[in-house]
Amino acid sequence: MTSQIVQSVQAEAEKRGAKRVTEVHLAIGKLTFLGLEQVRFAYEVLTKDTIMEGSKLIIEEQEGSVKCNHCGYEGGFKYEDDPLYHVPVPTLKCPQCGSVVNIVAGKECTIKSIKLLVA
Amino acid sequence: MAALKKEVVKAEEGEIYDVELSKDLLKANERLAEENKRFLHGNGVRAIDVMGAIGSGKTSLIEKLVYLLKNRYKIAVFKGDLTTTIDAELIARHGVETVAINTGKECHLDANLIRKALQRLDLKNVNLLLIENVGNLICPAEFPLGSDKRVVVVSVTEGPYMVVKHPFIFMEADVVAVNKVDLAKAMGVDVKRLEKDVKTINPKSLVVATNCRTGDGVEDVVKALEL
Repeated sequence: MTSQIVQSVQAEAEKRGAKRVTEVHLAIGKLTFLGLEQVRFAYEVLTKDTIMEGSKLIIEEQEGSVKCNHCGYEGGFKYEDDPLYHVPVPTLKCPQCGSVVNIVAGKECTIKSIKLLVA
Repeated sequence: MAALKKEVVKAEEGEIYDVELSKDLLKANERLAEENKRFLHGNGVRAIDVMGAIGSGKTSLIEKLVYLLKNRYKIAVFKGDLTTTIDAELIARHGVETVAINTGKECHLDANLIRKALQRLDLKNVNLLLIENVGNLICPAEFPLGSDKRVVVVSVTEGPYMVVKHPFIFMEADVVAVNKVDLAKAMGVDVKRLEKDVKTINPKSLVVATNCRTGDGVEDVVKALEL
């Protein structure tokens, strides 16, 4: 995923004839499999010897949120505390009415903006 | 007399441009998946995405589905794997067209790979496409392929915590096959408990207990998939 991010940014930068990329703003959803530490590490490795080397990586974590089409609830997941395994488990149940909700945020991996140094 | 100074305004060297991109890479896969779905429907093909951990029984489930359905449907199989074609060959022995998709280092199939694989199929002879995803309970959740249904296979040999540890993939599952139930006693795993865990996370999921070695329960998977 990080290499897709790096490739996308590089393509944009080259399209605009940039000399260097100085900043990259990402929004990564908390529900994705992406670990921020890993993304940061991979970013450093992948941007070496490119116009992105040394650029600042700013990552905004997006909270997961759900929407209920039955009662209109919009907000965090309903967690069920499992007494057997002692683990709070997120569920697709509406905390307000119990119907099945849709996930509306927390699954994104967005390049929000980049800062380019133009010649 | 004051000379007219002609000042040439130069942009300072090193001007920084702030470019808004708002490019969601995961949404890009979603859009491709929607395109795949439209393409498949346009050709009268229903597709099923079979996910699950390594060794959970995805290939066995697909083999049994092929065995049960080959007289009812014109089946093709996409087999995602990192490199080998061993499993693909296993399925092809049943006489269905099988395309092996080697993902290389990627740990999941994505809509782009499916799109490329679809170009290899003559869809005139297909109305059911079974896709076996790469063994992984994490990443495939984020990468819809354009299938009509998503199945997650979880086996009792993975222990009692596998479902609660991976809630997000079960949130994607239309059908869950709890497999290798013949080994539940030996494993000390409560199949009903696993079923409850799935329903807690995703009340819409249909759960079926299976033994894909013998084929027990696979007819119920067929019913759950509305095939």
